[in-house]
Amino acid sequence: MARRGGRVLLALCAALVACGWLLAAEAQEPGAPAAGMRRRRRLQQEDGISFEYHRYPELREALVSVWLQCTAISRIYTVGRSFEGRELLVIELSDNPGIHEPGEPEFKYIGNMHGNEAVGRELLIFLAQYLCNEYQKGNETIVNLIHSTRIHIMPSLNPDGFEKAASQPGELKDWFVGRSNAQGIDLNRNFPDLDRIVYVNEKEGGPNNHLLKNLKKIVDQNAKLAPETKAVIHWIMDIPFVLSANLHGGDLVANYPYDETRSGTAHEYSSCPDDAIFQSLARAYSSFNPVMSNPNRAPCRKNDDDSSFVDGTTNGGAWYSVPGGMQDFNYLSSNCFEITVELSCEKFPPEETLKSYWEDNKNSLISYMEQIHRGVKGFVRDLQGKPIANATISVDGIDHDVTSAKDGDYWRLLAPGNYKLTASAPGYLAITKKVAVPFSPAVGVDFALESFSERKEEEKGELMEWWKMMSETLNF
Amino acid sequence: MGFLWTGSWILVLVLNSGPIQAFPKPEGSQDKSLHNRELSAERPLNEQIAEAEADKIKNTNPPESKPSERNYSSVDNLNLLRAITEKEKLEKGKQSIRSPPFGNTLDMEDVDSTKNRKLIDEYDSTKSGLDRKFQDDPDGLHQLDGTPLTAEDIVHKIATRIYEENDRGVFDKIVSKLLNLGLITESQAHTLEDEVAEALQKLISKEANNYEEALDKPTSRTENQAGKISEKVTPAAAVHDGFANRENDETVSNTLTLSNGLERRTNPRSEDDFEELQYFPNFYALLTSIDSEKEAKEKETLITIMKTLIEFVKMMVKYGTISPEEGVSYLENLDETIALQTKNKLEKNSTESKSKLYPVPSEKSHEETDSTKEEAAKMEKEYGTLKDSTKDANSNLGGKTDEAKGKTEAYLEAIRKNIEWLKKHNKKGNKEDYDLSKMRDFINHQADAYVEKGILDKEEANAIKRIYSSL
Repeated sequence: MARRGGRVLLALCAALVACGWLLAAEAQEPGAPAAGMRRRRRLQQEDGISFEYHRYPELREALVSVWLQCTAISRIYTVGRSFEGRELLVIELSDNPGIHEPGEPEFKYIGNMHGNEAVGRELLIFLAQYLCNEYQKGNETIVNLIHSTRIHIMPSLNPDGFEKAASQPGELKDWFVGRSNAQGIDLNRNFPDLDRIVYVNEKEGGPNNHLLKNLKKIVDQNAKLAPETKAVIHWIMDIPFVLSANLHGGDLVANYPYDETRSGTAHEYSSCPDDAIFQSLARAYSSFNPVMSNPNRAPCRKNDDDSSFVDGTTNGGAWYSVPGGMQDFNYLSSNCFEITVELSCEKFPPEETLKSYWEDNKNSLISYMEQIHRGVKGFVRDLQGKPIANATISVDGIDHDVTSAKDGDYWRLLAPGNYKLTASAPGYLAITKKVAVPFSPAVGVDFALESFSERKEEEKGELMEWWKMMSETLNF
Repeated sequence: MGFLWTGSWILVLVLNSGPIQAFPKPEGSQDKSLHNRELSAERPLNEQIAEAEADKIKNTNPPESKPSERNYSSVDNLNLLRAITEKEKLEKGKQSIRSPPFGNTLDMEDVDSTKNRKLIDEYDSTKSGLDRKFQDDPDGLHQLDGTPLTAEDIVHKIATRIYEENDRGVFDKIVSKLLNLGLITESQAHTLEDEVAEALQKLISKEANNYEEALDKPTSRTENQAGKISEKVTPAAAVHDGFANRENDETVSNTLTLSNGLERRTNPRSEDDFEELQYFPNFYALLTSIDSEKEAKEKETLITIMKTLIEFVKMMVKYGTISPEEGVSYLENLDETIALQTKNKLEKNSTESKSKLYPVPSEKSHEETDSTKEEAAKMEKEYGTLKDSTKDANSNLGGKTDEAKGKTEAYLEAIRKNIEWLKKHNKKGNKEDYDLSKMRDFINHQADAYVEKGILDKEEANAIKRIYSSL
């Protein structure tokens, strides 16, 4: 009976679809929805991607629809809840969703961390739908990407802020309303300021990666951290992300570390050890966005200082100093390289413009994801073939190490060139290998480490051999 | 309007698909990896221990709650559903294929294995029961052991009775009886109403045609089974000629078994056989009778609509989501309606151009209004059902009708695409039926997990489960 009931409902719905189709065929498509018609679904508009703003329920629906359409390659999960209790939803796309396949790099996109910077949120929803559609159409690029990567998409890190921003009447949204979370915390200033620590370490000696090792407990107990911030920190610690991007609005540029200036001044080029690859990564995004990479583009606002922008990219500190941001936190607490992408001069542009933002950014979004398959990657194992987790992979000449994940797998993004890679782990003898790295794809380099005790045994054996030989020769 | 409705029925039946492909996902890893916590080597020991314990509790809880949930939420639905699916499966001749898949699932070392076993038991016990009942007791409203008749039978019987007694009160009496006996829920009652209305309308139109072609009818009805089979095969074959698909063999043989099944159905059904012969010619005759110059737009629209709907039906039959018999019957129904309405409109127009008066057209438009009124009434009923069911506690959709409609629309579309892709992607696979049940289980499990996590509403999850379980 339920099926009958379902049929009836479906009949009605299907009739609506048929109606819509017929109307379209007769070129009677209704015009852009008025403010009150936000709920109207334009299902048939370009492959099920409806270019309209999604509030929280619609965001959820959109992700569920993607999951329902592509159950084989997708999974929805949540990393926690916002202050007002909204789930921080993530949709994962991969050929084996829910599972980290050894050697498969992990990628993430996070949008809408400032609630009123809305374009990123929408682009990520469109992206999820697009990836699903294209996968099913057999688009080779997308199929390969999804088979070789684990893609995590979080359309909104600040759903509370978005609701506030979106609830404003009229089309012109305020520059600040909805930016921070429900507690009034600017999430992109809320992360532990590891830049400060690194700058001190640079002078006095000390590590510049995985600085959170000792601070994890402190994070949990830190009352100043917003629930959204805490959730993301746990997320970063739990999944061995390799590459990431953080989507914002209010300008048009791809921004890379470091965000905070060394001297504390307002503008200063603050390069990180991986400046070369970061410039390449940022360019990989901006170059596919015709507006962002347009050298003759006027700045967003008349008096904006965009002197630091090169090819649509900029160093964070050179543009303006940002302490406590998520981008640098990724780089300094984990293996993940993250850039910040500013997508639109207007933070919350009119709904009609969403489609063109998608067109401008769609290739960039895909291209940036593909960057994850660059540099060097491989496994660190012991002599018996068992994986060594948390081994250190250092690159000669780049003062920033990465570590291997649970399965011993590691990924080291590098610009093209010749490098010496060293893998080491406590209790093991380090091994160094020379690698020639092209632009892409990633070069596979595995390490088989010998443990100290094994070496000791070996040496002992050698010693015994020598003693035996000596005694035989000298007859004692 | 009418053809839109029938068209929509066809579209709807997309979801009654058969074969879906493999979907292997071990359940334990799903729960664990939802947190992905074990990937971090840095977490304090206490936390990891606490996590492991929490996971353990989690893993024991869902399996316990789910079987009871399933039983509670869908006992009634399950019964009727099973009844319907049983009937369908009977007609499709896939019964024999049904049992081994469930036998196979027994081998799966799965948390859900207990669930599957329950299903098998229930299926086993009612399957044979339904067979017997179907043959022995065509007249009662419900069976002795309380299992309701298949919905279609009920609908036909009620419709017939209403028609005969010309009294809608019959329906109310019967439905209240069923409700009191607890055999159907309120939402099912509403749905029943729609079904009956539709069946009634069919009856009426059949009877009207009957009256017109009274001479020919008796001959067709008195033809023996073999004759009817050949009739069925011819139009079915004609339909199949359009489908360039090797699955035709299967569907043709299904058609043969179908016609056997058809024999047991009530009278209105048998009249369809005769009309199917004229199915295509009818439409083409109408088409040519339309004056190309004046009615060019009408003609084109008609053709486009017809083509689209035929494509839908083709696709549906090709993928095995509906039987060819159903496809043919829907197209035939559609054809009727088109014929009627276009004829009316044409006559109205031609008399307009001739006399420029409206006495005659008014009659025809009255007829037209009647049929459109019926359609409108049906629409209202459908909408009413929709409205009511959203208010109903057991509704599939929560919240406002508009939103719920849009959401279900989106979900349906998504599910349809998924199944299309799965079928296309796994043309080589043979284990199609097996994977359908596995897919269903997977979806059910995932939906529940998502509800727990706050990713899905309870109503949404139920809606999705229902959609999948109706496949």
